[in-house]
Amino acid sequence: MKWYVLRRLAWTLVATWLVLTLTFGLVAASPDPGASAYVAQQVQAGGDVEGAQASYERARGLDRPLWAQYRDYMIGMATLDWGWSETRSQPVVEAVAAAWPYSVMYGAPALLVSTVLGVAVGLYSATHRNTLEDYAASSFAFFGISIPDFWFAIVLILVFGVTLGWIPIYYRSDVPWLSLANARQLLAPALVVTLSSIAGEMRYSRATALEYVNSAFVKTAKAKGASSWRRVTRHVLRPALVPLSTILVADLLNVVLVSSYLVEVVFGIPGLGLLSYKAIRQQDVALVLATVLIPTFVALLGNLAQDVAYTVLDPRIDYGGREGR
Amino acid sequence: MSGESDESDRFEDVDWAALESTGAALAPRTAVVLVGALGIVAIVGYETLLATGAGPTVAWPVAYRATPLDGLFALTMLVVLAYGIHPLYDNPRLTRRYWATFRRNRAAVWSLWFLAVVFGLGLAGPMLLAKPELNVAAGYQPPVYTAVPTTVSGTCVGPVVDGMCRGTWRHPLGTTGRGKDVLVSVIYGMRVSLQVGLITTLIIVLLGTTVGTVAAYSGGLVDEALMRYVDVQLTFPTFFLYLLLLYLFGGTLFLLIVIFGLTSWGGTARLVRSEALQRREEGYVRAARSSGAGTAWIVRRHVVPNVSNTVVTNASLLVPSLILFEATFSFLGLGDPTVPSWGQVIAAGRGDLATAWWISTIPGVFLFLTVLALNFVGDALRDALDPRAAS
Repeated sequence: MKWYVLRRLAWTLVATWLVLTLTFGLVAASPDPGASAYVAQQVQAGGDVEGAQASYERARGLDRPLWAQYRDYMIGMATLDWGWSETRSQPVVEAVAAAWPYSVMYGAPALLVSTVLGVAVGLYSATHRNTLEDYAASSFAFFGISIPDFWFAIVLILVFGVTLGWIPIYYRSDVPWLSLANARQLLAPALVVTLSSIAGEMRYSRATALEYVNSAFVKTAKAKGASSWRRVTRHVLRPALVPLSTILVADLLNVVLVSSYLVEVVFGIPGLGLLSYKAIRQQDVALVLATVLIPTFVALLGNLAQDVAYTVLDPRIDYGGREGR
Repeated sequence: MSGESDESDRFEDVDWAALESTGAALAPRTAVVLVGALGIVAIVGYETLLATGAGPTVAWPVAYRATPLDGLFALTMLVVLAYGIHPLYDNPRLTRRYWATFRRNRAAVWSLWFLAVVFGLGLAGPMLLAKPELNVAAGYQPPVYTAVPTTVSGTCVGPVVDGMCRGTWRHPLGTTGRGKDVLVSVIYGMRVSLQVGLITTLIIVLLGTTVGTVAAYSGGLVDEALMRYVDVQLTFPTFFLYLLLLYLFGGTLFLLIVIFGLTSWGGTARLVRSEALQRREEGYVRAARSSGAGTAWIVRRHVVPNVSNTVVTNASLLVPSLILFEATFSFLGLGDPTVPSWGQVIAAGRGDLATAWWISTIPGVFLFLTVLALNFVGDALRDALDPRAAS
């Protein structure tokens, strides 16, 4: 098992290196959107095209050989020197450091609520199969996976912000973090993220729990007189937690990352998502890279945690090839 | 199955001629698809490489000029017809059995009707309706039967009653702030969603099935290399990979589809591979091999048809997610600015939520319903095609 975990760790490192290298390759191979904007600006100010191009490349070290650029890029990435954000006039790392608390502020509660509620509702659906509640939960799950996050956020603003006036239309970052006003304006974003992640959670935990609801050991427990609560928590939930824990870590995290990106753009929350969106709009390449790479690394770590969790939770896991996957 | 007594079940009716035909002669269906594909490639090739001038090549019955995207879409429709619809027509008994299971899911049947309407409108609408154009004189017109203050709409196309501008049938779903008709934009958006959903899924299915079966059949180093590559591909979170690629290379719908298609087949390949590994051990494959069938023949005639149900189920769930992705990136401004897609209209109305509610909400309703319907249909398809997965 130790060997397996070490191998997964090594694979995560290799994957990180691959992600960084591929990203470098992609950026190097594509026309720099920032360069054309700069050249156009210089030409308008009276400069010539080639001079502007050359000065842009010199300023960013783009006139050096590719491998030197690659080396500096990798060293920069490893030492947390992620470049300079032109539009914000501050190091990229600082911009990210200022933004991430806003993303966590509503993302973490949403993750927690959707995990607990999703598993609970899924278990209830599985044990009360084909009842009215089960159908209601399934319909709700369909609703949740089908509704576009960004549109749902807009509808919430329209109904509860514009028409009813219960929530502010735009996020105000001047209120203290630990205040009622902040909680009120984060309620709707948290709701959108919760809805998009809870649906998958419900469906998956229902399907997983269904495998155990009619198994021999649950029937035995029933025969010896275990209460329905005890059967669900001790005999169904425990084996179901193994596959569930894996989707919890990696897939759920992914859903939350995506939906928080969109929610921040719609509600104007100054977190990582909005930072990335603004960077894209304003052609700030270094910042775009950072804000795309961070969720990728988070997902990589999530995958690693998922595999390690599996080895701890499930003694049956096969450490060999991937035939069984 | 024991109660069935249909003609084709009887042993005497087995079409020996078809079974004995060798791989040298093309099956009629393959021939039709090949001829059609060549025709499409020829037309698009002519239009992009040889045709001169910027105007339409054909003036009648509608002014038209084929683009690479149209060509890809036509190819997709051809393949869907030949390998998706034709077998159903060809094999009515199987179709009836599938339909009997499918029909049990009432939501899915309604969804199918809704999707048929969206499909028809998306195909025919853009040919009959002119592309929505900017018309500053008709901005912020409300949908029919609703009214907004004239301070919002400015000049009002419809009647003004008590200072309220009322919607007219000229713009049944209202107009955007710059006067684009929302209904026409929604219909054009249907075609965009159709194209993204179908073409991308076809690319993914083709690449995924090829890689999956080749990996399962070759084994050894080829398998290892292909699956390692799939691991790497699946390492990137899809959304952020698309985001980066569209930011760096995007700009047209064609490129968006290519980017989605070329980077998203990992999951399908993995699924097909594990299915194909199981099929490889089945008796009929061993029987075919012992009677001298080659690997290519076995893969084409025995393995691919037998994993096709898994592939169809997988594909039916890919379509809604791809449509959602396209809408999302159009909303973020990374789509094709020249194509009126749903996400783009939703984004256009975002700044006017307080005054013009209809711009952002109406295309979203269509997006939501389409994705919901596709999910329902996909769910029912899985129940109908894959009896093992039915819980």
